[in-house]
Amino acid sequence: MTELGIVDIREIIRAIKSFYDYDFGNFALTSFKQRLERLMIRNNLSNADSLIKKLRDEPDFFDIFLYEISVPSTEMFRDPSLWRWLREDLLPSSIEKSIGKYKIWLPNCVSGGELFSLMILLSELGLTDKVSVAASAFSNRSIEIIREGHYDLKKIEVSTENYIRANGSAAFTDYYKLDRYYAFRDTSLIRNIEFNKLNIHLDNAPANIKLILFRNNLIYFNPTLQDRILTVLNNSLSASGILIIGIKEKISGFASGKDFDIVNEAESVYKKRIIG
Amino acid sequence: MNYKAVIIGGSAGSFQVVTKILSSLPKTFPIPVLLCLHRLKHVRSGFVEALSLKSNIPIEEPNDKDQLKPGKAYLAPANYHMYIELANRIALSTEDVVNHSRPSIDLSFITAANAYREKLIGIILSGANKDGAFGLKKVHDCGGIAIVQDPNECEVKTMTTSALQLTKADFVYSTDQIIRFLQKI
Repeated sequence: MTELGIVDIREIIRAIKSFYDYDFGNFALTSFKQRLERLMIRNNLSNADSLIKKLRDEPDFFDIFLYEISVPSTEMFRDPSLWRWLREDLLPSSIEKSIGKYKIWLPNCVSGGELFSLMILLSELGLTDKVSVAASAFSNRSIEIIREGHYDLKKIEVSTENYIRANGSAAFTDYYKLDRYYAFRDTSLIRNIEFNKLNIHLDNAPANIKLILFRNNLIYFNPTLQDRILTVLNNSLSASGILIIGIKEKISGFASGKDFDIVNEAESVYKKRIIG
Repeated sequence: MNYKAVIIGGSAGSFQVVTKILSSLPKTFPIPVLLCLHRLKHVRSGFVEALSLKSNIPIEEPNDKDQLKPGKAYLAPANYHMYIELANRIALSTEDVVNHSRPSIDLSFITAANAYREKLIGIILSGANKDGAFGLKKVHDCGGIAIVQDPNECEVKTMTTSALQLTKADFVYSTDQIIRFLQKI
């Protein structure tokens, strides 16, 4: 396959905008180019024109496109120190204080790594019944994969190490089954989850959320879109609601940054600022 | 010559070499230094501090979309790929490992080559896998300067010999020669 040039990428973005009214124009260029090239190799497409043609002629392929453009979490319990802090500090105290169910939102689930990590933690804390968790995804394919419990074998070893570092209280093997060449997660963990598909700009985001987990997603946007999405997330949070982003994602410098206070700098945890 | 950045990749056996290079650069080094070094993914802190002890220029682990500045070194953070985006910015990524590595030297070199073309200096140091070989080829193909540490001097030769198999390097240099080259730009 030939490498995509900037002109090719602009053409692809323009075509998707015209076919599906999705605007990838503010995605970070380098990673978007890599995702496109990876998707083309996986689908035997040799150039930008063949990708555009397939997107035009096969509406079902657009869902695959959305799935493959998204980057799944690298592993479960990534950054164990954050998960320890959630386990020992934030979740028990906040959920205890919550009047009504404590609402948690994961705006972009791709493979379910982050969602299952959260549900394991809540289950071990005995707090599953006191929360309501909304899981959004950009593609139906992601929702399918998560619901069916598909689990990438390659990620088990590092996830197990993370789980132990995060002070998991059971054995990590309790949460998945091996079936020859595949691994399946314990899907009873997600039986009460509400799944929904959102577009890449998170239009129709839920409201009154107490905690948003959106780690390592902003890195795939340029600063214009990062700022816009941070505003969307802020609007979704209830007063003093918590936003957790990736440890190398920072919100200082954005206009939307002034709407948040820092809670835990090392783990990139922010709180919606109370106006007034 | 009008270079815009130097990028250095290394793995096992490269720490001492990088330390020596950073301690020999002038405080007013005219361009940014990008460092992509293999490291433990779950150890987030300590590496920058260790490299900084003797460095003449400040080193940081950039946040996503940070602007690159001359006279500073940027170390790829643990468990992230570090890309060079257009407009002189860093972009981080959690995409799949490449050559079993995240950060991957290939990805940092390829994206830097795309951003700086012939105005990039790429240097591959001691290391235990072939990550970086393809990236250095890309630097060379884009017209940049490809430098490989002399394998005879490397603690572990795999990375440098793999790079030399794939690319006709502009220079095969000892650590001291690399330093003299950088001091002159």
